[in-house]
Amino acid sequence: MSGFRPPFDPAPRPDRLGPAGPFPTAKMGDEVERRWLHYAMLSRDGRHGLVANAAWLGPPEGDPMGPARYTTILLLHEQGKPWISSQFNATISEPPWSAFSMPQGFGEAAPLRIASHAGEPSIELMLTRTSRPCSSQCAFFAGSHHLRWQSETGVQARGIWRLHGREELIEAVGYHERVRGRWGWPQLDEWVFGFANDLEAEPGRPPRWAAVFTFIKPQGAADGTTASLMLWRDGVMRRHFPRRRVSFAVRGMLDRDRVTMAPPLAGRFGEPAIAAVPQRLVISARMGEDWVVLDFEAEAAARVVIPSESSAAPFTVHEVVGPCLLEGALGGETFALRTRGIVEFSGGAA
Amino acid sequence: MVATVATLTARAPAIIAAAAAELGQERLSLHFGDASRARMHAARSLLVAEHGGHAEPTVEVRFDDRALKLIFDAQARPVDEVFEQSLDLRGDRPALLATWRCFSLLARRASGLRPVQALWTQYRDRAPPARWAAPAIRAKPGRRRGKAHWGDVRWPALDFLNHRYPADAELFRAGSEPVLAPARSLWDGRAGLSWQDHTPVFDNDLQETMRRIKDRVVGEIMRLLPNRSPRPELYDLMRDYVTREGKGLRPTLAVATCVALGGRPEDAVRAASSLEMFHYGFLVHDDIADESTHRRGRPTLHEAHGIGLAVNAGDGMHLFAVDMLLSNLESLGLARTLGLIHEVLHMCRETVEGQAVELGWIRRNFVPARDSDYSRMSTQKTGWYTCISPARIGAVAAGETSPAVLDRFNECFRLIGIAFQIQDDVLNLVGETALYGKEALGDLLEGKRTVMMIHLFRSADPRTRARMAEINALPRTSKSFALAEEMLAAMQRFGSIEHASNLADRLARQGVARFERDLRFLPENPGKAVLRQVANYVVTRAL
Repeated sequence: MSGFRPPFDPAPRPDRLGPAGPFPTAKMGDEVERRWLHYAMLSRDGRHGLVANAAWLGPPEGDPMGPARYTTILLLHEQGKPWISSQFNATISEPPWSAFSMPQGFGEAAPLRIASHAGEPSIELMLTRTSRPCSSQCAFFAGSHHLRWQSETGVQARGIWRLHGREELIEAVGYHERVRGRWGWPQLDEWVFGFANDLEAEPGRPPRWAAVFTFIKPQGAADGTTASLMLWRDGVMRRHFPRRRVSFAVRGMLDRDRVTMAPPLAGRFGEPAIAAVPQRLVISARMGEDWVVLDFEAEAAARVVIPSESSAAPFTVHEVVGPCLLEGALGGETFALRTRGIVEFSGGAA
Repeated sequence: MVATVATLTARAPAIIAAAAAELGQERLSLHFGDASRARMHAARSLLVAEHGGHAEPTVEVRFDDRALKLIFDAQARPVDEVFEQSLDLRGDRPALLATWRCFSLLARRASGLRPVQALWTQYRDRAPPARWAAPAIRAKPGRRRGKAHWGDVRWPALDFLNHRYPADAELFRAGSEPVLAPARSLWDGRAGLSWQDHTPVFDNDLQETMRRIKDRVVGEIMRLLPNRSPRPELYDLMRDYVTREGKGLRPTLAVATCVALGGRPEDAVRAASSLEMFHYGFLVHDDIADESTHRRGRPTLHEAHGIGLAVNAGDGMHLFAVDMLLSNLESLGLARTLGLIHEVLHMCRETVEGQAVELGWIRRNFVPARDSDYSRMSTQKTGWYTCISPARIGAVAAGETSPAVLDRFNECFRLIGIAFQIQDDVLNLVGETALYGKEALGDLLEGKRTVMMIHLFRSADPRTRARMAEINALPRTSKSFALAEEMLAAMQRFGSIEHASNLADRLARQGVARFERDLRFLPENPGKAVLRQVANYVVTRAL
């Protein structure tokens, strides 16, 4: 485990993984250019949730040769309790686990360790791939602002979680994502991201069903609003429902006392109140004979306050965990599973 | 539709007042799919819906069930189906727009209210299932169908959410949010909206809110009243009075203002209890002074137990009102409690001064000539303790002691308080005793100087005026119902009741306008929504 210094750069390595495609190794050029590795997992019994994000940012404004900037944050949740979080300076094992930047065969386990400087929360996991990623997605905003991402579901994790003063050996299933883009938070405005998958797959086997969804509503570019829902079966993305074929709706608000501020230091800066987190999210998608409905109910949220590099108000990402119903039909096969999901409601920068 | 408007009039007057303002002078003739008809128009700040058609409507509206569902039934809205063939409006352009604005407002603000949902659930249950089924899906020949809800997913997520949630059980769950927030679409395949709801709607069921707050306050009073002797001569009398039917307007104002300013509802409960006890004490003594026989549907305390015990019970109520005020020391601390004492002292002084003015008029058999004289007296006698002080006391309970902020509540609630009192006086003459609680025509028997009486003396011919003065001069025990009815007939003949109703409506509208202007500094929150409903409640009370 390293100290607080730049972790290994997660850019793909063409010599081992082939062409980098839309995620180039090019050096980041300015303060709003970013590269992320994102992890979201749910324990098999549904009691625990994990969200972690490692971010590499471009050089500060006016100093193109300046030092690289980076943050890593880890959030853990146990059912019935609030989310707990590290600061933005969590340490991460090197190189950070990512099937996008390191070759890793199916069934092979590789480590991922993330720890708060306070010692808790922290994780020491062995991650195993079971599924294939989707093709990369892209959303563009005003000017040259854009966000590109690629998700892989069915990532299995086994290892130690330290939270609430104890260690637990937990098996989890979730998804991993890489992001590269150039965006200012006010221009990005809002997104709703999330996933849900079957938690009962055998170790080494992909979840029978998994879904990843996206809704991005950039500021000042009404025609730039986009949405999608992707559905995996047995580790392969079988259907991508594009923007015209999905719809999102919300209702109600999550009780305020179920929303925790993160990272812990954020509470000291008197962040302004922002809108309440929706209590319920329903996503429906239909294309031809295939359809999916994802019905999510928020249970607890962590409001992650992210300083904006280009404006005064911070951007907030609400990491929300809760039960969800995933049902639909694919190629004539119908399915319905009660599971849990993690959803991000983000916005607030101005 | 008629029942829905009646329900909203009783439970969410702010919505009705806003819808009436949108409708303006238009007269609607409504035709429904089952061949029934109704008419609707705005009268003062009320929306009036009655069975039967309008003779000369400005707008003809034809609904089928799907269109009605769009407006009121938040559980199943076929929004993409309704416009094509199920709603037809005929009239000139401004009238159509006014009608559309009125129905849009009702759809947006009323459909989420629990009583409206309950009404439409009943209606849907009674109606033949086919009329309420989801729009039929035209299956292509040979197409394979999935599970029972396969058809649901033809709907966008918004309708899916509305269709599935809430189940009726959740809808009627006790203790849940008073407002059922409607679902919002974020993305329907074409247009995106923010997940951050910037325009929250907090319309609530005022009747239910007032009932809950009153129950809480009565419970607190019962807890604070001593359980000791002498029970039959003192404490039983107090308990009997406290548990009588009442609207709970004052406690609601106090608690809602406290919440509107960021306080907890519980912070205002003891102050509201104290207010109620002062009010009860005033009523007991007032009934003796006015020689009233009934209060809140039951004999007045002095009628039932004699003047001596009633006076003593009234004194005791005032004593315990002070005690309840002081009990805030433990929960709110010294500064806020002193602020509350200051407010209550002011309220009591205004009330006794106003009472003295009116009793002096009656004693001298004097009827003032101007409505403004009544307004001044009414503001002192009832305006402060009915509206202004409860709001200020709620604000103090929330920790607000700045005079500049507290004074923002004065003018709007002064106007609303006078309007409320005038309406109360009108109800005494033309309202149903069962609803009103006091004896019918009691004000005329007492010789109370109401706006109607002032108008009558101002407008009547000399002969009638002399006759009315003669009746007023009689002691209450010598006045018969026949004399009171004679005076009522004169008031009707000279348009005094109509004048009073119009004046109340005008004052209430001014009060609502001042409410919106003076209290703009309050953020939109559930507390302010209740205050807004109370402000509009004045003019929508059943006459």
